[in-house]
Amino acid sequence: MTKSIPSYGRARLLPSRWGSRIQLLDWLGRSLALPKSMIRTRLALGLLASAAWMMPAAADAADAVDFQRHVAPLLSARCVSCHSAGQPKGGLDLSSRAGALRGGENGASIVPGRPAESWLLDMIVSGDKGRPEMPAKGEPLSAAEVKLVREWIAAGASWPEKLVLHEPAKAGADWWSLVPLAKAEPPAPGSLPAAWKQSPIDRFVGVKLIERHLSPNPEADRRTLIRRVTYDLLGLPPTPKETAGFVHDSRPDAYERLVDRLLASPHYGEQWGRHWLDVIRFGESRGFERNQIVTNAWPFRDYVIRSFNDDKPFDQLVVEHLAGDVIGKDRPEVEVGTTFLVCGAYDDVGNKDPVAAAQIRANTLDDMIRATAEAFLGLTVGCARCHDHKFDPIRQDDYYSLYATFAGVTHGERTVATAAARQARQQRLAPLEREQQRLTDEKSRLEEELFARGTAREAEISQRWKRPTPMYSLIEESFAPAKARYVRLVVEATSRMGHKPASKSYDIDEFEVFNAAEPPQNVALASVGAKAAGAHRVAEDFAEAYGPQFTIDGKYASPWNASGPELKITLAREEVVRRVVFSSNRNADFMRAFPAEYRVEVSRDGHAWTKVADSHDRQPVSQDDRRRRLIEAVMTAAERQRLAEIGRELKTVEAAIAKVPALPTWWVGNFTKGAGPFRVFLGGDPQRPGGEVQPASLSTLSGSGPTFRLPADAPEGQRRLALARWLVDPRLPLAARVMANRLWQFHFGTGLVDTPSDFGYLGSRPTHPELLDWLARRLIEHGWRLKPLSREIVLSQAYRQAGTHRAQAARVDAGSRYLWRFPPRRLSAEELRDTVLAVSGKLDPRMGGPGFLLYRYLQDNVATYVPLDAPGPETYRRAVYHHFARASRVDLLSEFDCPDAAQATPSRVATTSPLQALTLLNHRFTLDMSRFFAERLRREAGPDKPREQVRRALELTGARPLEADDEQASLAFVEQYGLPAFCRALLNSNQLLYLD
Amino acid sequence: MAPEADTLEPPLVDRRGFLQHAGTGLLGVALTHLAAASETRQPGGTHFPPKAKRVLQIFCPGAASHIDLWDHKPALEKYHGQPLPGEENFLSFQGKNGNLMKSPWAFVPQGRSGKRISSLLPELGKLVDEIAFVHSLTSRSNTHGPGCIFMNTGFVREGFPSAGAWVSHALGSMNDDLPSYIAIPDIRGEPPNGKANWSNGFLPAQHQAVVISAQQPIRNLARPASVSASEDQATRELLTRLDRRHAAQHAGDSELSARIAAYQLAARMQLAAPEASDLSSEPTAVQRRYGMDDPNPLKAGYARNCLLARRFLERGVRYVSLYCASRASGVDGLLNWDAHKTLKADYERHCPIFDGPTAALLADMQQRGLLSDTLVLWTTEFGRMPTHQAGTGGRDHNPDAFTCWMAGAGIKGGTSYGATDEFGRRAVEKVATVYDFYATVLHLLGLDHERLTFYHNGSNRRLTDVHGHVLHEILA
Repeated sequence: MTKSIPSYGRARLLPSRWGSRIQLLDWLGRSLALPKSMIRTRLALGLLASAAWMMPAAADAADAVDFQRHVAPLLSARCVSCHSAGQPKGGLDLSSRAGALRGGENGASIVPGRPAESWLLDMIVSGDKGRPEMPAKGEPLSAAEVKLVREWIAAGASWPEKLVLHEPAKAGADWWSLVPLAKAEPPAPGSLPAAWKQSPIDRFVGVKLIERHLSPNPEADRRTLIRRVTYDLLGLPPTPKETAGFVHDSRPDAYERLVDRLLASPHYGEQWGRHWLDVIRFGESRGFERNQIVTNAWPFRDYVIRSFNDDKPFDQLVVEHLAGDVIGKDRPEVEVGTTFLVCGAYDDVGNKDPVAAAQIRANTLDDMIRATAEAFLGLTVGCARCHDHKFDPIRQDDYYSLYATFAGVTHGERTVATAAARQARQQRLAPLEREQQRLTDEKSRLEEELFARGTAREAEISQRWKRPTPMYSLIEESFAPAKARYVRLVVEATSRMGHKPASKSYDIDEFEVFNAAEPPQNVALASVGAKAAGAHRVAEDFAEAYGPQFTIDGKYASPWNASGPELKITLAREEVVRRVVFSSNRNADFMRAFPAEYRVEVSRDGHAWTKVADSHDRQPVSQDDRRRRLIEAVMTAAERQRLAEIGRELKTVEAAIAKVPALPTWWVGNFTKGAGPFRVFLGGDPQRPGGEVQPASLSTLSGSGPTFRLPADAPEGQRRLALARWLVDPRLPLAARVMANRLWQFHFGTGLVDTPSDFGYLGSRPTHPELLDWLARRLIEHGWRLKPLSREIVLSQAYRQAGTHRAQAARVDAGSRYLWRFPPRRLSAEELRDTVLAVSGKLDPRMGGPGFLLYRYLQDNVATYVPLDAPGPETYRRAVYHHFARASRVDLLSEFDCPDAAQATPSRVATTSPLQALTLLNHRFTLDMSRFFAERLRREAGPDKPREQVRRALELTGARPLEADDEQASLAFVEQYGLPAFCRALLNSNQLLYLD
Repeated sequence: MAPEADTLEPPLVDRRGFLQHAGTGLLGVALTHLAAASETRQPGGTHFPPKAKRVLQIFCPGAASHIDLWDHKPALEKYHGQPLPGEENFLSFQGKNGNLMKSPWAFVPQGRSGKRISSLLPELGKLVDEIAFVHSLTSRSNTHGPGCIFMNTGFVREGFPSAGAWVSHALGSMNDDLPSYIAIPDIRGEPPNGKANWSNGFLPAQHQAVVISAQQPIRNLARPASVSASEDQATRELLTRLDRRHAAQHAGDSELSARIAAYQLAARMQLAAPEASDLSSEPTAVQRRYGMDDPNPLKAGYARNCLLARRFLERGVRYVSLYCASRASGVDGLLNWDAHKTLKADYERHCPIFDGPTAALLADMQQRGLLSDTLVLWTTEFGRMPTHQAGTGGRDHNPDAFTCWMAGAGIKGGTSYGATDEFGRRAVEKVATVYDFYATVLHLLGLDHERLTFYHNGSNRRLTDVHGHVLHEILA
């Protein structure tokens, strides 16, 4: 069987191993990834080649016309999908003249002037078996088309050298989402109910309903309405007082007043900021293997919340996201925007393999490109990384234009402060740093002097150094027999032989203590009752990982990874000992850090210690050790005292320096030159550079508006700024259309386009295209402010109608996409948790600052996130302030579909699963909150009034009053099991969890 | 003019509504997805008759060395200590490499097939005639985290569904009271990239693995100690009563009754999962055969997890991911198979933990007939270099060649597919990919890997991305 060559980015391994043409067919047939139904080949003659990529070749102009008119469209539509430079199936690239002449693994596909020798013809002509072997997908070429190809080859197969063919995308530049915003006027109200005639939104929606013979629900009752709109705008339940106030408000503009109050609430930004953070894959850990927590990205979360609360124009937000550092230098509140670029997951493990490292860098930029294109344009530009987008009119060049734009961005943190703050800090630091420098200088002078003196006397001093240096693989010390119950190794300096600086930590894989018996026995073995103690590196998820027990396990394998200077062995009983043998790696296959200077001491009682051996008469391991010994040997008492004084003074000044508050360092990314030239990576492989590209706008949208193109050496920040300004240029339709749709989605649960970050061919079409364009225009008219548009939406009858289900309407439109009712929904994970806290009276409303943790963060080379069993009051804040780490499973939030920001989540799903039930019933959080909820009920309804308590509970959860028999059952339950048990049931109930 | 004017009409039931109702809970069954027009399966059904009903995937994280365990390379012995031709200055993951290094252990012929595998694995050696080795696998990453994610999800980026989630989504559960997909992490901790290895990605949340192990019961499963059984029961009854009333007031919203059902399923799981995890109910002889009484706590821990895996498979869990070893640590190769510097010490520590319990598990499954409809996978994220790392006795990462294997339902035992070059540096014969591996797994489950799709952010996503061919030669 012939196999596909995996193109994993490394050197290609396989020689050609062609058997027969049958195999070729088989191979190519299986290589097309897409289901047949998705492939709607379009023989769009003339459509594919825009003049921009045509380079008329004067010499063979006559022939070229034939090629471009007749042959190029055929090749583009039927061949290039599998045979392009990026993806040359069978080694064959039919997208360029050079590729076609070079041929594939079967040899020359085209021999100019010689149709009979041209393999290409054999493949597209039907042979004995009937169907020609190529194209593998779709209908064979017609006889006329084959004739064209044959004649073209016979005539010399002319092909302008620079003309590269592209497979036409399924969607063209005329795709619905790419054309300019329509100037749609709201339709005439016709037979709509009176209330539906006012708002343009209702007219758009209403007319569609009529078309489908559907009718809307009447307006929802006020209790339902205030609950709905409060959750929608704030993510929290209304208080019973707010509900009662609205229910009894007889003013004609009661609802408008309610909406205005909610839009002005600071909780609005918490709810709507959270939506936005989903869209832009905001996460607070680095992801991938190490997944280290990022503790300084929260200022961006606060910035998003603030921006929504302030109703910052969306176009400004976009510019700040992409180029806040450029437009807001030394203005932290603007600079913080660029966290957007670097809050995605990235691989920071550090890869010495240059091929892999280049691929990882490309993946990191890919995250930025996708995040940008999907969030602001609703285009899956990422699909054009390896080849032209198969469905949308996005070229591979376009992708790499964005690559060039972001090429200077790297993940990381940076000091973000105003110029005044920087200056003030420097003023405080300057005298301290001068003092530090003075002391450091004096110390080095003194040490140099001592060293010079010691070096002069080295011949004499070094006479003591008779024994060889300690070795990492074996250190042996024999001494006069001594009585000992305890033996300890005290390490004075460590080394890695030739490595500088010496490792602070070191390893001991075995420590043996031999007694005076004949033959001598190792009495430092766990198996004979010895014990070992010593500070060690700690892995919280596997406590034994680096422990001192390894030094007495009788194996030269896992080592004790020491974090302190002492290993203490307690023998099973007092022994007469006379030799110790220890090592860092007895197998000697890898040098671990080892004790370079040490002493061995014994004790009978564990208090009084006697030195029995040390390393001081050995050759020093390193120059550092030699220097230290020489200095030590010649130092006078006065010098020793002065050095100690300097040490103390240095500590004091360092402490003073540490007290000067640091400038804020935030996770806003770093910007390097990122200089060009930039090239396409063929097949997405950085090892296969293709044509040159520049930072530029997407060619896709160039037909309908402004464009930009910068030289490859344009300043890095200017590239991002140009892109940002282009994205939100109101002459382009996508940013406004995509954002208007998101607004609609967050109000109604589903967007007019239900694939909110994909407005391309594979995405959905809008249910109400005219309404979408009207909303997009309106957004721009409002100066890109979201609140006025949200206000218009929630004031509409479409929004205010009841959620009542009607079987007949549901048969026509089960998803309520046409809004014959308000679509009910489940609370989101955050809304649920916030609600449980709010009704229990425990919600801590503090805004902003570092997030709280619902997991324990463990780090031992890599990070592990362990869910908390008993979260305390510090976690009783709104869920938007949870530290949003990746690959962490968070009780309650994860089960209720809160994403982990591995990728963007433009719309959440709402699943139903038994794990939700288990968590919500059994987690300590529910039990704690049930208790607090009950306390609150006793407080607010009176301690001995179960009926009032139950009623108050229902009010607080926003539910309707219980029917009499349910209330009776509840009272009986409270009587038998207590009020907290009732609260536990209520916190699990559908009336709390669902919103209509 | 835009093509396909006929799709301008939105579907009557929208995609989101579909997902909400798709398989409430344990019986999470994928409904034919609207965007995947070519899906011809019935819900929970297969594309064609399956050979396997369930999957056990054993994962040895840290890149278990193919040339020290499964892939015998006599040339390494012959050229030991000499430079690797053509790659003398090659930089790999951790940097410089030294000369070729033979495996510290002999490879001995085993079984009727005479397949040579490392003498470090004497017990698994007895089972080689049940196993089909794929020696020519290649990975897209040379880094553990992305490598593990790639091996489990088909993508090096996080956020994609693992194979177990896909199978859960496609086929659902075979029981009414246990999850369809469980992950059993090792006693030493989570594998590289942790929970992303058993993520549901963009599939509905019920398809993520439920984590359970002998050292760690299902989270939040147990009734809280402060709540009596009768109070718990009465609470559920009251809750059901209130929810039924609420549902009656909202007639037609089926999601509400789905949630009532989910609470009932949860209650059944509270009974079924502890029963399934009760290893003490197994005869002492069985416990011993697995190695549960071993003085090495790591081996005893893994042995318990092996037995746990069998008990869950027996009870109808669709997909079990069982881990042997964990993450990268402060000392390379200590907690997992990542033998960068001290291969000999590392594998003499890991192999005895892995060999006996795994072999006992396979033998036990065979004896009980479970192997006839269970597909067993042994996987790791990539291979290791035939050279030693400069200045060490270990090997660096090698994404260009590694071995994984399959056994059980539908597998032709005693076969070896593909081959690496004479040193094991690169896969050269019948080069295979992770996509091919999973195309084959899905094939054995009765699923066409090209037709099992799910729309997400602009693509109809597949476990096998846009690649993959079934490895027919290893099929029975």
